[in-house]
Amino acid sequence: MKAMTTKKLASALLVMIASVLQCTPAQESAAPRDAFETRRMRLIDVVSRERDRSFNTVTAKLFSGNDKTYALTVLDSLTTDESIGGMFYAYSAIGTYLKFRDQLPDSMKRKIRQAFRARTMYRGDTENHWVMYYTGMYLAAQTWPHEGRSEWFNGKSSEENFREAEGWLNHWINLSSTIGQGEFDSPTYFITFIAPMLTMYDFANDPLMKRKAQMMVDLLFVDYAAEHLAGNYCGGHSRDYPDDIANPLAAPSALWAWLYFGEPKMELWQENRYRPRNRGSWETIFGATSTYRLPEIIYRIATDRSRPYVHTESKRVRNVIRFGREMNPPVYKYTYMTQLYALGSLQGGILQPIQQHTWDVTYASDKPNNTVFTLHPFYSGKELAMFFPEEQKFLSDEVNRYHFVYTNPNKWNSSSPFEQTFQHKNALIVLYDLDETAQQPHIDGFFPKNLDEREPHNSGWVFCRAGSVFIAMYPLKRGEWIEEGPNWRWRGNEKQNGVVVEVGSTIEDGTFEAFKDLVVQGHPEMKHTRESVGLDYTTRHGDRMSFMFGGERILNGKTIDFKSYKFFAGPFVLSERGSGIVRMMYNNDVRELDFKKALVREWRQ
Amino acid sequence: MSRYSRTAAVLLLFVGLAEPAFARQDTLYMSVLNSRKHRLGALDNPTVGLFMSPDGGATWQHKGWTGYIRTFYTEAGPDGVLWSACGNGVLRSSDHGLTWRITTGWEITEALKVKVDPKNPSIVYAATAYGVFRSENSGETWTRRNHGFVKPFVSDIVVDRANTHRLLAASEDGLYESTNSGRSWKKTGMNGRGIRTIVQDPGNVRLFYAGTEDDGFFASSNAGKTWTASNNGLTNPTVYAIACDPSAAGTLYAGTHGGGVYRSLDGGKQWHPVNDGLTNLVVHAIVVLSSNPSMVLAGTLNGGLFKSTDRGGRWNFNSQEEAQVWGLWVR
Repeated sequence: MKAMTTKKLASALLVMIASVLQCTPAQESAAPRDAFETRRMRLIDVVSRERDRSFNTVTAKLFSGNDKTYALTVLDSLTTDESIGGMFYAYSAIGTYLKFRDQLPDSMKRKIRQAFRARTMYRGDTENHWVMYYTGMYLAAQTWPHEGRSEWFNGKSSEENFREAEGWLNHWINLSSTIGQGEFDSPTYFITFIAPMLTMYDFANDPLMKRKAQMMVDLLFVDYAAEHLAGNYCGGHSRDYPDDIANPLAAPSALWAWLYFGEPKMELWQENRYRPRNRGSWETIFGATSTYRLPEIIYRIATDRSRPYVHTESKRVRNVIRFGREMNPPVYKYTYMTQLYALGSLQGGILQPIQQHTWDVTYASDKPNNTVFTLHPFYSGKELAMFFPEEQKFLSDEVNRYHFVYTNPNKWNSSSPFEQTFQHKNALIVLYDLDETAQQPHIDGFFPKNLDEREPHNSGWVFCRAGSVFIAMYPLKRGEWIEEGPNWRWRGNEKQNGVVVEVGSTIEDGTFEAFKDLVVQGHPEMKHTRESVGLDYTTRHGDRMSFMFGGERILNGKTIDFKSYKFFAGPFVLSERGSGIVRMMYNNDVRELDFKKALVREWRQ
Repeated sequence: MSRYSRTAAVLLLFVGLAEPAFARQDTLYMSVLNSRKHRLGALDNPTVGLFMSPDGGATWQHKGWTGYIRTFYTEAGPDGVLWSACGNGVLRSSDHGLTWRITTGWEITEALKVKVDPKNPSIVYAATAYGVFRSENSGETWTRRNHGFVKPFVSDIVVDRANTHRLLAASEDGLYESTNSGRSWKKTGMNGRGIRTIVQDPGNVRLFYAGTEDDGFFASSNAGKTWTASNNGLTNPTVYAIACDPSAAGTLYAGTHGGGVYRSLDGGKQWHPVNDGLTNLVVHAIVVLSSNPSMVLAGTLNGGLFKSTDRGGRWNFNSQEEAQVWGLWVR
């Protein structure tokens, strides 16, 4: 017996060693791979028929050969128009150059080269800006080596630019693979990480950087996959546009899910109700034309919802440059995934300025606006000044200019120091404790109008049904219902408030009536002290949750210890915080990204 | 160089040094962070960045990149080399702004001020959102100089003209002092206050002034050892900018958030608002021309640049409609 075990272990080890990958895409079975090939060619064809002035259209047209003349005209205008520059330009321009260098006339290549000589390439002030900027500079410096300082817009030589870009990219990869991204899990900004990393994977000459880029693409995808449901990027998000929060399949990430995960099944660009902003999120073309192929294990993780599971993560707050005690405080993320819905939350507080999305229920649906959530619409110059160096009294207005809704009392994205959550599986407590500094003295809840049922119950619960999904919300204080375009807004005007949320489905609860019967038995017991607000609640499955704002989260008598959160923990992804090793698991298959050694390992357990 | 050439050079230098103030022509440097007219993706966005004027603001020339790189502040060293503190790092131009080099790497970002050692122009300090950085080779390399800071967000720095190894830094929780060129720092005053700007009086090296977030104006008459709040008449207590009239000891200007420009004729003991014609009252930068001290320029956030030719008695819009004039410097 012992000998057999040793033998098995040895052979497993041999398999593992033998399959250490040096940048070779994982083997896929034929069906998902063929389906991907079909989708990517479909996307290339669709985008190649566009007429807009963008690198996406140029890429699709040159790749497909469809209307190459027009593509070159557009590219010419993009390379000669000096009003265009910056980080988005940097990686797109060099990516286009490298992808089509054999097709581009020399005059066009010279113009692209000239752009890096004369154009203003702003590095930006966010993580995604820097990824795009340094990817662009890395590849440009690699493409035009041994050129002196006078040949680059920033007065640095090719070697200096290359070293700087390589240095920061390694720094970012190290951070992102050990304590997470600051701009984590963003349906809106996903494109700004995945597209540059795909470009890096396709064109980095250095095999080590190429492998790291591949591993980062894997990491970005598996991070998404573990919280993916039918095209929706579920759970809490660091940054998300209000329109994408209120209509999750309108987010740019959804088209990447369509391409790589095969979900949703519909072609989003054809659907008015989902059509992503600016008609396409066509940056997905960088995926469709890339040589990267998604490892099948990630595809399986993204699409197998046969069993419900809890998935937790710890990420980081973006750099806190003032008014804080730590540069990158941890973010704790909890998501409960099922076949029909996901309930996910961040712990609350200010984890990102401007666009945080702290919690929601997102459900699989053929209707838009398939989500329910609450928030406190907080804004503050001091909050912004934690992350941006400009004057705090000036920042709110300035941010409003670009994000339009920052000070709007009706906005649908916000961090708030007055909001905290406590989640256990499909039950959630959200507490609000607004003080006198809160300019917006209310909390809001988003309920789509197209819910099949939305029924305030005399027990105090509000019961909602969206197809086979059941959502119950118990506001601690009475609120009002305000009718708006695609949604009802529930508004609570009490400064100390909160909601309890339970989510179920036909699979778990049978019928809506059965769900309601179980839920009404659990009366939340509010604990309201002069100092704070809190409550005790027993879930419909019998778990006892106790939570005071600013206090401990106690589950069945045991205090939740956020410090024990791993980087990833769940049935599909596992990683110790700080280890740099991310393990993906599906059935008996394992794929491990070892960022410390820049190695990918695969084996069968 | 021959003996005669050396003599001629010395004479020229002497003439230059002895040149009376009224005969000098000041050059103004205006750092425009952004403009209220800027729109994401628009093709006709206004030009921002560095503008220079050789004629007291009568005309302006743009220098360097036209796109947005978050230019906070620009000044020239004694050797004429230009330094800009930007979002992209610290930029250097040794040809009067024709070409630029980003001297810093990825480790240095969001530089808010850059100050050159008045006695050794190859020594440069950058005040950044991540602390103080120092270069002693004209920006070829930089070293972090943060030892002693509790919170390293530094929005301004002064190199003491009386002892250039001594530095004062405006941090988010008070004023810090270094006596060893930034190798170590200790808090020296205004504990817990957010310091926005710090200035050494051009006529008296022992006089320093500081502007704070919400706590008004502070003055020190013992080279920054002790500080006294001095806010009589200053009803808007967030002070972003302080300028001294080099021709009149004790005449100071303060740029405030919401209160426009305040003037003091007694070293800050009493302040009076001087806002006639100033249509934007968020003033982030002020300079007084040494060649013509009646001429004062005020940079506003989202209102552009204003100019007064009578020591603030009356302001007229000068240029940069709806722009954020973050920094002004005069040579």
